Amino acid sequence: MEYLLHILILIGIYVILAESLNLIVGYTGLLSIAHAAFYGIGAYVVALMALKLGSPFVINIICAIIISGLLGGLVGVPSLRIKDHYFIIATFAFQVIAFSILNNWVSFTGGPMGLPGIPQPVIFGWQVSSHLEFLLLVGAFAILVFWLCHRIIKSPFGRVLMAIREDEVFALAAGKNVALYKVAVFVIGSGMAAIAGALYAHYISSIEPISFTVMESIFIISIVIIGGAGSLWGPVVGAVLLVMLPEILRFVGMPSSIAANMRQILYGGLLVAFMMWRPQGLVGKYGFRLEDTKK
Amino acid sequence: MNLMQLIINVIYAASIYAVVAYSYYFMYSARKFLNMSHAAIIALGAYLAFEIKKQLAWNIFIVIPFSVAITAIIAITVFLLIFKPLQKRKASSTKMLVASLGIYLVLQNLISLIWLDAPKSLCSWPVKRGHNILDVYITNEQILMIVVSIALLGVLLLFSKKTTIGKSIRAVASDSVLADVSGIDSYAVVLWAFAISSGLGGLAGILIAIDVDMTPTMGMNAFMMGVVTVIIGGVNSILGIALAALLLAITQHFGAWFIGSQWQDAIAFVILVLFLLFKPEGFFGKKVKSATV
Repeated sequence: MEYLLHILILIGIYVILAESLNLIVGYTGLLSIAHAAFYGIGAYVVALMALKLGSPFVINIICAIIISGLLGGLVGVPSLRIKDHYFIIATFAFQVIAFSILNNWVSFTGGPMGLPGIPQPVIFGWQVSSHLEFLLLVGAFAILVFWLCHRIIKSPFGRVLMAIREDEVFALAAGKNVALYKVAVFVIGSGMAAIAGALYAHYISSIEPISFTVMESIFIISIVIIGGAGSLWGPVVGAVLLVMLPEILRFVGMPSSIAANMRQILYGGLLVAFMMWRPQGLVGKYGFRLEDTKK
Repeated sequence: MNLMQLIINVIYAASIYAVVAYSYYFMYSARKFLNMSHAAIIALGAYLAFEIKKQLAWNIFIVIPFSVAITAIIAITVFLLIFKPLQKRKASSTKMLVASLGIYLVLQNLISLIWLDAPKSLCSWPVKRGHNILDVYITNEQILMIVVSIALLGVLLLFSKKTTIGKSIRAVASDSVLADVSGIDSYAVVLWAFAISSGLGGLAGILIAIDVDMTPTMGMNAFMMGVVTVIIGGVNSILGIALAALLLAITQHFGAWFIGSQWQDAIAFVILVLFLLFKPEGFFGKKVKSATV
């Protein structure tokens, strides 16, 4: 039972991460390899505040969202000047620099050893301690993020994002402040990723920089793409599938010595296959762009 | 540490960056997308050399061209199976990147399944102390790397300016539609570019593995430094790449002197971001049109 709850909690956390990245990748068409960095920033802000200041969870998570959102805006700014793979490399650069700070600033972040002993969160007197309680907390936030994404996509703001994805010059010509929209979507997406980080930090109770590397970013991208970029349910489907996959491999009886590698090979193979035959993902309608799906 | 030693270290680091960057340069100029699978190709070259040397016990200087050739053949197979069909469907550079990421995951994990994660070494000869010239330590392996990088600079400059394939690659790089109309078979040219790039990538991996040990993930770090070098150098220039490699190595080593060597990666990527923001065309690159509508 504990095990099942653990899987469900992980799915919830990855739904938050994938939905927030989907706003950037799927709806605005900007591929970012920096999402694990914001996930990590959220986790570290919450952990540092809880450990060093002892401040309550609600305040910590709000601070994490704000700090991560502001840094996200910082990553969004280059997207105004540089395009396509140059922008992707710039997000990669942010990811490497962020990891480097988490890993090397030993006196502040604990370095490679990370931050152990993060206390259980207390929300208005409710101490979240059991797996079930954590699932309720994570589930509530996942539903909140899903609902927010739904609202954003259906709003005029969301329609402008999709217009930018389809044709940036056209959106500009229609009088939309494309620069502002791009930075805004990064602020929102990164802020949401920080929520996932905060929940993860409290749930696992000990965080290390190794959880927030480029590979983690790639995993989140895989969830979005395999599930279906630019669709609301795609990231949910992707998160369920990719989080369950290693567990399924374990049930099939794959020896644990090769399981980690086989899992990555499977992710890699899926990415290639989807790019070749189904760029819109499992439940998505679009690729990275409407025209991409036309063969 | 004296100044001469620092200079030698900088030149050595710059040589590594330059060799990896040369290897990436050709495929990047032929098809402009971030090909992450190249990172696995670099590691593959080193592991193939390791395996051939172990099985056949050849001299290292016969092993190198042999494994470079096999690396290129494997990379070309991947190209024909995956990148070419994608290219035919006019996939965007983002899609190509995601596919290449998938290939990287598959290849890197295959390497780690076959040869395991523990570091392996290419040199079976006893580790000698480095030469001591004027108080400066340098090993044979480091001299080899520096010599190869300088020789490659000359050879590649000649290749790209004088040979038909070299010229065709530059033609496709500057305008592939125009190249097509001029009767250049751009698919064949792209194939050549990928073959040359992958071969050089394998060579880079072997050279790195001769000096330091090899691990299945060794390619990623080398590749990213190579990408940084190519971009700073201004994607269209071999000479620019050589200069960019020097600049990168100098900044990293002096930066490391002041704030510690663990920050070298961060320093490199800060330089990259500064270039992307303020001089995205690099050292020698031509200014490009901001948007083609």
